[in-house]
Amino acid sequence: MISLDCGDCFDIWRGQARQLLSHGIAPCAVTWAGAGGDLFASAGPMPLGQGPRQPRVPAQLPGLLCQAARYRGEQRWSLLYEVLWRVAQGDRSAMLAGSDLGSELHRRVKQVRRETHHIHAFLRFVPAAEGAAEDAAVGAAGPQFVAWHEPAHDVLGDACEHFIGRMGQARWLIATPRDGAYYDGQTLQYQRHCPAAWQHLAQGGDDPDGGLWLAYYRNLFNPARLNPKALQGHMPGRFWKHLPEGPLIPALVSDAQLGKRRDGQAREVARLKGKRVGKG
Amino acid sequence: MELIDKLSILADAAKYDASCASSGAPQRSSKGRAGLGASNGMGICHSYTPDGRCVSLLKVLLTNFCLYDCQYCVNRRSSDVPRARFSPEEVVRLTLDFYRRNCVSGLFLSSGIIRSPDYTMEQLVRVAQLLRETHQFRGYIHLKTIPDADPLLVEQAGRYADRLSVNIELPSEASLRQLAPEKSAASIRAAMGTIQRGELSRQGQPRAPAFVPAGQSTQMIIGADTTDDSTILRNAEALYRGYQLRRVYYSAFSPIPASPASVPRAAPPLLREHRLYQADFLLRGYGYRAAELLAGPGDLALDIDPKLAWALANREGFPLDLNHAEALQIARVPGIGLRSAQRLVALRRQRRIRYDDLVRLRCVLAKARPFIITSDYHPRQADAPSQWLRRQWLEAPRQLGLFP
Ligand code: SF4
Repeated sequence: MISLDCGDCFDIWRGQARQLLSHGIAPCAVTWAGAGGDLFASAGPMPLGQGPRQPRVPAQLPGLLCQAARYRGEQRWSLLYEVLWRVAQGDRSAMLAGSDLGSELHRRVKQVRRETHHIHAFLRFVPAAEGAAEDAAVGAAGPQFVAWHEPAHDVLGDACEHFIGRMGQARWLIATPRDGAYYDGQTLQYQRHCPAAWQHLAQGGDDPDGGLWLAYYRNLFNPARLNPKALQGHMPGRFWKHLPEGPLIPALVSDAQLGKRRDGQAREVARLKGKRVGKG
Repeated sequence: MELIDKLSILADAAKYDASCASSGAPQRSSKGRAGLGASNGMGICHSYTPDGRCVSLLKVLLTNFCLYDCQYCVNRRSSDVPRARFSPEEVVRLTLDFYRRNCVSGLFLSSGIIRSPDYTMEQLVRVAQLLRETHQFRGYIHLKTIPDADPLLVEQAGRYADRLSVNIELPSEASLRQLAPEKSAASIRAAMGTIQRGELSRQGQPRAPAFVPAGQSTQMIIGADTTDDSTILRNAEALYRGYQLRRVYYSAFSPIPASPASVPRAAPPLLREHRLYQADFLLRGYGYRAAELLAGPGDLALDIDPKLAWALANREGFPLDLNHAEALQIARVPGIGLRSAQRLVALRRQRRIRYDDLVRLRCVLAKARPFIITSDYHPRQADAPSQWLRRQWLEAPRQLGLFP
């Protein structure tokens, strides 16, 4: 059994897979050790250099594998090799959603896509604390906005372009428990292992205007249409603790459930004095 | 009044507009440029509210003062609600602040009618102009169009906004006369026509300045009057055809504070609204016609979805052989969506479709079973009466497969 480590990096894995394939090594003869690697596999050597075979695969396959590789979970890398192997043997159905193996591949791609939507949607920037950047090694100016996010799959690397497009020349920092990214308005610095100083900086914003968004959120929903299940389904609970509006949700739901408001108006607004408008 | 209090009042007043979509805008990016914001055609829901709705935009009214007295509306002049008014600069500040926080992808601005339709429209346009020109904002902007406003103002609005909408409000002219006497169906349609002409005038002219690239939409209130679903869907179909609307939104009428006697106090008809959205989706995405979904007057079934109802009423086309049928035909099978249908057709080029393929594609087989043939499956209930199938579907516990 050949046991490999790619450090959870797609480019390294791809180099390894290409080499394995060129030597005609079948998926059952190789494992990738990750955090939960196979301790009992007795490691054998990887053949050196490129082997004689140069199988061709459809052009869409590498992109599909790259997407699925962002997925964190069991058999993260060996499944990809199995798909690659089978397609290289001429079994194209292995990469289609309708087949056994392909359905798992596409499930992962879908999960990753979902998690990418989640980071685009639920990441929140707050203004960085004054002067906090000095010891974070992010250049003289430091970020204007910081965000802390905990994605379930490795999606930050791909999401950076999205935030660069949105934020223009603003300087921002995103930190996660694994990786991190700093954009100084011109260039992106991506770290696969997020420096502790970045993580610290990202978790300590300074936000005097934060109340505006909360006021908006409180008044935006219609208590007569309460539907907490739909909320849960679209915005899983694991994100609530990092969303500023997250802590408001339980009270808003129970208020509406207790029937305090039977029409659409928010409680805070109902307390204010009304005013009829004179005709034209 | 503090900004935060205005925000509370004017968000509360804007919630009755169902739309919060930010999709359909062209590719725009602020990468390496002054200004802020991007759009890429895909909408983003940045949060969800306890009523399960998507928060994509800062959705507020510029003001909830209003000269009109539409009976179904919380902001009508006779309504005893707290009133507030933003300055255009305040809306700009809030939009940019929420945008930077990644709380929203843009702005949806509407307004009560103050002074005159033209004045009100000018104020809305002013906000969009400040955002686009002074702040080089490239996020999404949706402006409500005030019917009766000068077409030149609408034309100007369309150059700043990704989407314009004119609400049709009620599904029939008679209801409009009764419940919104200051509005007229004719001027609502005239405004839709103005927007459509703007869109058409840009067609085939790639260098002309963009005009509502995400198109126009409208909203109909459901359940404030007695119009039936058949009329509603035929109206929607006519709007899609006549004005090339991108979306018709349906908003279940929900009781308003200090409700006048002319509109119901009942809880909003949410299930009915849901069925209308499903039917609308079939009109837009699947090529159904309104007359197929409801042949005569009446309402959609509440207990089953419109696609299943249609299939049960049209058994002569089933069971359908998935190894031969076209993708659009397959997508008419209850429990199989358009995407799955396309995937089946792709897989079919490699080999024949088997029953298990549908399981793997996560089709709703409990629904699909009586309507399909695969290389290894033929339904036993192909000749069972539709009434019986309908009962089986309704009575079966949802987790278990039924039609064995
Ligand atoms: S014009 Fe608009 S804001 Fe004014 S009462 Fe009618 S629906 Fe409400």
